[in-house]
Amino acid sequence: MMLAWAFFRRDAIIAYSYRVSFVAQLLGNLLVLGLFYYVGRAIGSAPLPAFAPYGGSFVAFLLIGIALTDCVGVSLVSFAAQIREAQTTGTLEATVMSPVRLPLILIYSSLWNYFMCGVRFVLYLVIGSRLYGIDMSRGNFGSALLIFLLTVLCFMGVGILWAGIVMLVKRGESVMTAGASLVLLVSGVLFPVDLLPHWLRTIGDLVPLTHALEGMRLALLKGASAADLADTLMALGSFAIVLLTLGIGSFEGAVSIAKHTGSLTQY
Amino acid sequence: MKGTAVPASMAAIVVDDVSKWYRGWPLLRRRRTAARSGTVALEGVSFTVHEGETVGLLGPNGAGKTTLLKIIATLLHVSAGRVLIHGCDVRDDPLRARRLIGLVTSDERSFYWRLTGRQNLAFFAALYRLPARSLTERVAELLDVTGLTGAADRSFHTYSSGMKQRLAIARGFLADPRIVLYDEPTRSLDPLNAATIRDWIAASRTRSPHTTHLIATNQLHEAEALCSRAVIINRGSVIACGTFDEIRERWRGRDYVVHRVTYRGPIVDGRWEGAPRSGLIEIHEERRDAHTRTLRVSAIDGSDALSLMLAAVLNGGGTVLRCETEQVPFDEVFCGLVDRAAAASVTNREAECSLSR
Repeated sequence: MMLAWAFFRRDAIIAYSYRVSFVAQLLGNLLVLGLFYYVGRAIGSAPLPAFAPYGGSFVAFLLIGIALTDCVGVSLVSFAAQIREAQTTGTLEATVMSPVRLPLILIYSSLWNYFMCGVRFVLYLVIGSRLYGIDMSRGNFGSALLIFLLTVLCFMGVGILWAGIVMLVKRGESVMTAGASLVLLVSGVLFPVDLLPHWLRTIGDLVPLTHALEGMRLALLKGASAADLADTLMALGSFAIVLLTLGIGSFEGAVSIAKHTGSLTQY
Repeated sequence: MKGTAVPASMAAIVVDDVSKWYRGWPLLRRRRTAARSGTVALEGVSFTVHEGETVGLLGPNGAGKTTLLKIIATLLHVSAGRVLIHGCDVRDDPLRARRLIGLVTSDERSFYWRLTGRQNLAFFAALYRLPARSLTERVAELLDVTGLTGAADRSFHTYSSGMKQRLAIARGFLADPRIVLYDEPTRSLDPLNAATIRDWIAASRTRSPHTTHLIATNQLHEAEALCSRAVIINRGSVIACGTFDEIRERWRGRDYVVHRVTYRGPIVDGRWEGAPRSGLIEIHEERRDAHTRTLRVSAIDGSDALSLMLAAVLNGGGTVLRCETEQVPFDEVFCGLVDRAAAASVTNREAECSLSR
């Protein structure tokens, strides 16, 4: 715990030291809510058939999609970003020299980002629901928290795997952008997956976010319990185990390759 | 040294026939020997450092010092051979090895510039799992010992180069390691700060006599001042290993010394009667002004060369103003060894080329 706290504290101090950036980022996130407010007004408040399973509100559907996808984005980007930043700032070597396994260093280094992600998630839901008049009084927040945590674990595995790739190839932003676009398309972030052709829905079933979004919407908008979401939770749990194992294993393999080639601290 | 069986309990660091080469991607690999292709950074390096010793790892730029240090520090994998840290193989159990090692680098980028000195040390101390209370005390102690208490709560980016290097040393000692590795600890420091760092290293040896130090440096005077032994590496291979006196003697095959004679009077150039058999090795003018000359005379220790030289000055009507005798500067020994090794390497490559034709 002390080690986790040390990483969290380090990153919190550094983030706060860039005060302008810190505040601007928060403001930017909140402005997104304003953006969708007017999108919602343009569409109108009448229930839409496509969103009937989720209570009919497009804005509620969208809000949860954006909030959860933000956390997915943190998972996908922050691990690789941590490695790259440590390589460019020169701190990777000093950190790797310590008797702490590198995957653990990577996970602890993401705690601050996940904390801020959680803060934004709550802000999106609290402010967004007030702004758009979304009723979440029936929401099952226990199920929602479970889905949130499992989603984080799933994409943590992907993020760690990606961090290993970035450690070797040094730059990969364009590849991650392409991957993120595909995820946005097939997972139901902006629209229900039922609108997609069958072959894209099949691809979507292989993406954990699809299940996470479905479960989160049902939990918050329909009050679905953990028992109601058993299939979703099992799917996410399975994804989490496989992806974390694959991610950590691949990352350690990448570190070993980097130590052979001498490229661990190159950028 | 190769294959020497040293009880693990006696040796702090055992480098056993370590080689390191970097291969290109298989598609780009050029045809060479089956064993290795690409760049050979280290080849068959073997030496032992005993507990409590301070050993210098010397070599010109690109010799492989940093590569070897990184291998010992578990930051690089060996291609062949092994490294033992107090009996622990760094490849098989890197976590255990890292608990025993502190690394002092000269890379000032290795800190978090937005954190204060104290915050930096506290973070790195947490990585070594120091308990909370002793962490705070240890950080305060090291800041005090390195003279950084006054600047402890300033951001790292406000520190001077000397302060940054002192913080690097403090970090290297955070976990009270049994072995401290230094990678050019005084590089790019001014003479005053460099002297401060050297003094601190020397004092730390007194404070912790069982701590082993391995200092990679190309500052030869620094190595002589701090280290009891030296390992000289050139082009990835050990070309000399031992105490500084042993290396001097091995280089020349016998002891020789350098005399500096400052005199006023007619020119003396070493061409006097008896000079060929006097033990004189070489003589050259080091300095000249309107009235005086200073000659640097290399001669076999205990020979007649100095006496004959002084006699030549006095018999020519000159006046000896100053005479100093010192051992051969290690710079000269080092350059001689490196040049000799380079020449041998060229000869070997030419032989290989002629054999391959």
